[in-house]
Amino acid sequence: MDLPLVLNTSMLLTLATLSTPILFPLLSNNLKNTPTIITSTVKTSFLISLIPMTIYIHSGTESLTTFWEWKYIMNFKIPISLKMDFYSLTFFPIALFVSWSILQFATWYMASDPYITKFFTYLLFFLIAMLILIIANNLFVLFIGWEGVGIMSFLLISWWHGRAEANTAALQAVLYNRVGDVGLILCMAWLAITMNTWEIQQLSSQSQTPTFPLLGLILAAAGKSAQFGLHPWLPAAMEGPTPVSALLHSSTMVVAGIFLLIRTHPLFSNNQTALTLCLCLGALSTLFAATCALTQNDIKKIIAFSTSSQLGLMMVTIGLNLPELAFLHISTHAFFKAMLFLCSGSIIHNLNGEQDIRKMGGLQKMLPTTTSCLTIGNLALMGTPFLAGFYSKDQIIESLNTSYLNTWALLLTLLATSFTAVYTIRMTVLVQTGFVRIPPLTPMNENDPAVISPITRLALGSITVGFLITSFITPTKTPPMTMPLSIKITALVVTILGIAIALEISKMAQTLLLTKQTTLSNFSISLGYFNPLVHRFSMTSLLNGGQNIASHLIDLSWYKLLGPEGLANLQLMATKTATNLHPGQIKAYLGSFALSILIILISMH
Amino acid sequence: SEMSKDMMPGPYPRTPEERAAAAKKYNMRVEDYQPYPDDGLGYGDYPMLPNKSQYERDPWYQWDQPDMRHNWGEPMHWDFDMYIRNRADTSPTVVPWHTMSKHFFLFLSIMLIMFGLGEIYPSYRPVGPKQYPFNDLYLEKGGDPNKKPPEVIHYEI
Repeated sequence: MDLPLVLNTSMLLTLATLSTPILFPLLSNNLKNTPTIITSTVKTSFLISLIPMTIYIHSGTESLTTFWEWKYIMNFKIPISLKMDFYSLTFFPIALFVSWSILQFATWYMASDPYITKFFTYLLFFLIAMLILIIANNLFVLFIGWEGVGIMSFLLISWWHGRAEANTAALQAVLYNRVGDVGLILCMAWLAITMNTWEIQQLSSQSQTPTFPLLGLILAAAGKSAQFGLHPWLPAAMEGPTPVSALLHSSTMVVAGIFLLIRTHPLFSNNQTALTLCLCLGALSTLFAATCALTQNDIKKIIAFSTSSQLGLMMVTIGLNLPELAFLHISTHAFFKAMLFLCSGSIIHNLNGEQDIRKMGGLQKMLPTTTSCLTIGNLALMGTPFLAGFYSKDQIIESLNTSYLNTWALLLTLLATSFTAVYTIRMTVLVQTGFVRIPPLTPMNENDPAVISPITRLALGSITVGFLITSFITPTKTPPMTMPLSIKITALVVTILGIAIALEISKMAQTLLLTKQTTLSNFSISLGYFNPLVHRFSMTSLLNGGQNIASHLIDLSWYKLLGPEGLANLQLMATKTATNLHPGQIKAYLGSFALSILIILISMH
Repeated sequence: SEMSKDMMPGPYPRTPEERAAAAKKYNMRVEDYQPYPDDGLGYGDYPMLPNKSQYERDPWYQWDQPDMRHNWGEPMHWDFDMYIRNRADTSPTVVPWHTMSKHFFLFLSIMLIMFGLGEIYPSYRPVGPKQYPFNDLYLEKGGDPNKKPPEVIHYEI
């Protein structure tokens, strides 16, 4: 049995199956898309993508396919090449599984939307762009997928485009991603100049890679994966519908930046400056996002900041030179984060649009399945032993503790881990337990199979996926195996500390009458003042500057001052000076005669 | 139908009658009307409205155009496309601007300084210097084979 052939064929079949709901309605007049058709297409794609994954697990077959080379100039060719290695073969089923569950959930969530088919088509476009990004071997093909997910993110965040906040959020997403794209294009240009290729398998350089293109890659990852400095778009992206938040901004699109760093990892591994920069940036992002999540009251924003914090953790892993571990965390994170978003979507719809956790409470009795899965997801997020998050997160923290690295980055990451526990417990306590704070008449009904089966499926994934992946895939780098007990249980101790603090503060907060405004609480609630400072300053200066350049600089300066009016001014000055020379008085003429005779006499000598 | 010539913006109003006529043209009171200063930048008699964005207008009032929070006939700002709700926001912040910038830059500078300190004093598992056998490789490092090598003991009992 020719395994590479089966591998290539089934992977391409997966992509082809996904594009059928887009192509077939264009070719025939009778075939119309429905949300159910698109959901079942994604389910079929998922089942087909299990074949190459099984082949890889069973025999370790990888493949690199090239079809059609764009002969741009004679010595720089851009092949459309697809790489089916561990990363793409494992991520395809995961992404398709999560997307299938989300699409099934969206048939219930967006049921009242008049353009539901267009919504599903957008989600399908996004999925295809994301899979192109994953499977790409050439940076050009990756860039196509990169831009595709950016555009679909814009269209999906501003789905309810009558709402000005949604439009602003979509604009924010696109602009911040664009700033990151500059970095990616910079790196691609450098690669084209020095290595004359954009193929990822030709990227490893033996000697030191210069830091400058790696900075470009880090900028690209910071833009797409919402690291500190380019992070505000991710919480603002919660303006989009919950299925969009679940698919794009938790499992797939935001990991595209980290995935780029994983793919171009050979370039990074010998440049310690770039690795340290990744480490510090990731540590700062994870702590900053966790700090902001502590005081948020919107359930979707808490989960969004949690995503941002986990992305910082993935960046820290890249900085530790451990790309497989980062990929493991991406895979496990996809499951429980998507499930958290779906549970929050179910809660929001059941409470008739209420997203504020101060107005929820006691939902454990009213929405048992949803809240149980919410608890499972939160436990997985915190790194509870032997759930999915444990296998990746605990390994990351163990590697952190046993490596030679920046002390402050280590401390920040541990602090962020405890903050993760704090805000997770806060969310759980306020949403599920305690007194009921919802209005008395709510259309609460979670018994629709379109809600329950995706959530339970993802819950099953959250529990088992960590164990499954680590038991079937052998790591390429040896994990740290010998360490003292105190280092081994650091993650657990820090999490339990966070849980204890959260429970204590929750109990305290239920007896407090009025919350005091302190400096730190203001800093956390206002998301570090980053948004107003950066947005208002840059927007007013750029727009004012642009207006002034367009109207005043170009019109006034070029057309008036340097053209006719300037010429007229110069002429005026010249004529005024010349007029002084002949005022019509004999005195002046006698003076000019004397001056000229003097000059002639002097020059004759 | 097009706008008539007297409804279009005109040159800078110099006399009080011109000012009153310009204020009436722009549907403003004479007291409120304040043109841009006449320094050759081409504003003419267009009124200089305060630089406030649409965010600051009441969201609950029944505006004629709710998305732009603008009533019919109200004079629009010269840079109105900058002040719509998708662009700049000039509403007063909860915390004053200087406090915000001070706290943010304090946070950022503390983080950067601590990262620098962390680079100087990194954390690592305790390690010891490498120990070589055969009296610190005396013969391999070119020691005299006839002379007795200095005894090197790596342990303590």
